Amino acid sequence: MKKALITGITGQDGSYLAELLLDKGYEVHGVKRRASSLNTQRVDHIYQDPHIQNAHFKLYYGDLTDSSNLTRILQEVQPDEMYNLGAQSHVAVSFESPEYTADVDGVGSLRILEAIRLLGLQNKTRYYQASTSELYGLVQETPQKETTPFYPRSPYAVAKLYAYWITVNYREAYGMYACNGILFNHESPRRGETFVTRKITRGLANIAQGLEECLYMGNIDSLRDWGHAKDYVKMQWLMLQQDKAEDFVIATGVQYTVRQFIAWSAEELGITLAFEGEGLEETGRVVSVHGDKAPSVKPGDVLVRIDPRYFRPSEVETLLGDPSKAKEKLGWVPEVSVQEMCAEMVAEDLKIAQRHALLKKHGFELAVAVEN
Amino acid sequence: MSQKKALINGVSGQDGAYLARLLLEKGYELHGTARDAQMSTFYNLQLLGIKEKITFHSVALNDFRSVLQVLAKVQPDEIYNLAGQSSVGLSFDQPVETLESISVGTLNLLEAIRFTGSSIKLYSAGSSECFGNTEGYPADEETPFRPRSPYAVAKATAFWEVANYREAYNLFACTGILFNHESPLRPERFATQKIIRAACRIATGSPEKLHLGNISIARDWGSAEEYVKAMWMMLQQNTPEDFVIATGETNTLEGFVAEAFTCAGLDWHDHVVIDLSLLRPSEIMVSRGKPDKAAEKLGWSARLKMKDVVAMMVEASRAKGTS
Repeated sequence: MKKALITGITGQDGSYLAELLLDKGYEVHGVKRRASSLNTQRVDHIYQDPHIQNAHFKLYYGDLTDSSNLTRILQEVQPDEMYNLGAQSHVAVSFESPEYTADVDGVGSLRILEAIRLLGLQNKTRYYQASTSELYGLVQETPQKETTPFYPRSPYAVAKLYAYWITVNYREAYGMYACNGILFNHESPRRGETFVTRKITRGLANIAQGLEECLYMGNIDSLRDWGHAKDYVKMQWLMLQQDKAEDFVIATGVQYTVRQFIAWSAEELGITLAFEGEGLEETGRVVSVHGDKAPSVKPGDVLVRIDPRYFRPSEVETLLGDPSKAKEKLGWVPEVSVQEMCAEMVAEDLKIAQRHALLKKHGFELAVAVEN
Repeated sequence: MSQKKALINGVSGQDGAYLARLLLEKGYELHGTARDAQMSTFYNLQLLGIKEKITFHSVALNDFRSVLQVLAKVQPDEIYNLAGQSSVGLSFDQPVETLESISVGTLNLLEAIRFTGSSIKLYSAGSSECFGNTEGYPADEETPFRPRSPYAVAKATAFWEVANYREAYNLFACTGILFNHESPLRPERFATQKIIRAACRIATGSPEKLHLGNISIARDWGSAEEYVKAMWMMLQQNTPEDFVIATGETNTLEGFVAEAFTCAGLDWHDHVVIDLSLLRPSEIMVSRGKPDKAAEKLGWSARLKMKDVVAMMVEASRAKGTS
């Protein structure tokens, strides 16, 4: 039975990847960070009681900033495949905590590669590094492919640039099977609430149910190439099953504005929005409401406003991936369209909002957490 | 106008020492840092006879507090960050220390400058190692990076940190992407000085053999003394920009070895042994630089080429041997 070790297993990608690997008969080991509160919601449904014999799913406390801890976990698990998905993964937060981001996202990957070498696992353990389209930043060509030069635009992207190149270097210097998946934005109902797509679907669902009044956005002209995380983790696994390690761009090859994503999400709730005005004055106003999903919304309401607080010191305006290599060499094509994904995300967030609205209606005081 | 103040991180190294001398000549009030200023001998600064003219501070660049403290204390107009683990070979053995001293150090400096809110100008020491193998194509400021060692990956990271803080926060911060630059102050850990010293010892009767790895690699070698001028010039521009600093002339290591032994009056074939254990895990074959932008915008170009640099180092090594 093959063994996989996943950092970031409690995150969106980690949880989908864990499901995929369990399906394929792997023994899955995951690293979670110590926290005062439970942080395993995304994998609770696959958790197995360690008292069960032959449990195939096991979690360890660990941290990408702790070399000895990582080395010990690797020694214990002796994995065939190591997926490094753990990271401080939020671009905006990286401007607030740049050194922490560098430590976790940059040095963290080096710590794992070194641990693999140190333990003499370099011929056994295959290493996957979660790289990102943010590396392209101020894009040097469109669409972006494996050969496009990088131009990182945030401390997050700069830290990920280190991880990218150190992975390439350990492959070239020590012959390790180590590779990068350069993933363009990938979303799902499990996306963290502070990431733009989820902020939109969750925010609009809450507004529809009367739990919030307005969605405050940053740069809604940003163009992104969005795919479904469930599709993308298949590619992560595929990349480790090849004869030789190579880096791949994973994307859909189509891009839309954030504004378009807002409009789709609203439509899923039966709300037709019109965007009016420019720059900071731009608003998303309700033109019409149909169906019963948005009882709290009426024509004329302004549901979307711009708040410069969400602008970034240096913005990435456009990202569009060219996934030809993945299709050609690995036969990978994304199965879920961005519209289908948006519908799924809105449906899930609407369920949660309806539940909250029901509680509220019956007199339970309820604070809905919002980013501010 | 009042006297300008400069802070050099890594003042005890080769570039730090030459830059310190240059800035002192230009009338700067000069401050220098080392990880432990009390324990450091500042041997290079003693050699140049300028140690007494510099105020020293202990700074660990991977410690934010320590960086912020020295900035608040010195309040420099210009900072030259030349600190950090500087050997490609050593970076394969100490990859984490390399990363922390270079990338985390640079990040701490940028954050500290941002935090003070002052208009401090920052020069960051980049490296041609970032380019990796360019297939003989001369690298300029537009050439994409393809780093091939933990050292180069860390330097590439520092480069982008500087670019990002310049664009995101309008800091006056720039990187000089310097190709190999040598001097008599180079420690023997570097291949160039190892070759020069061996040739000089053999010329005075030492029976030793010089062990070298791959001598077919090619590099662009210039003079450290000239390169530090470019660093200073970069901070005197109206807008911060990155520059490639090179001679524009590439020679093989074999060519360097031949020149060194010729200068010492010897034929290298009689004294050099190729030792494959000295090969690096991943090596850059040919490094070629195109310093046109520096010539055009800074008016800087290298007068000294490889042969001049070798002659200068041999002369210094001989003088040292006889003293």
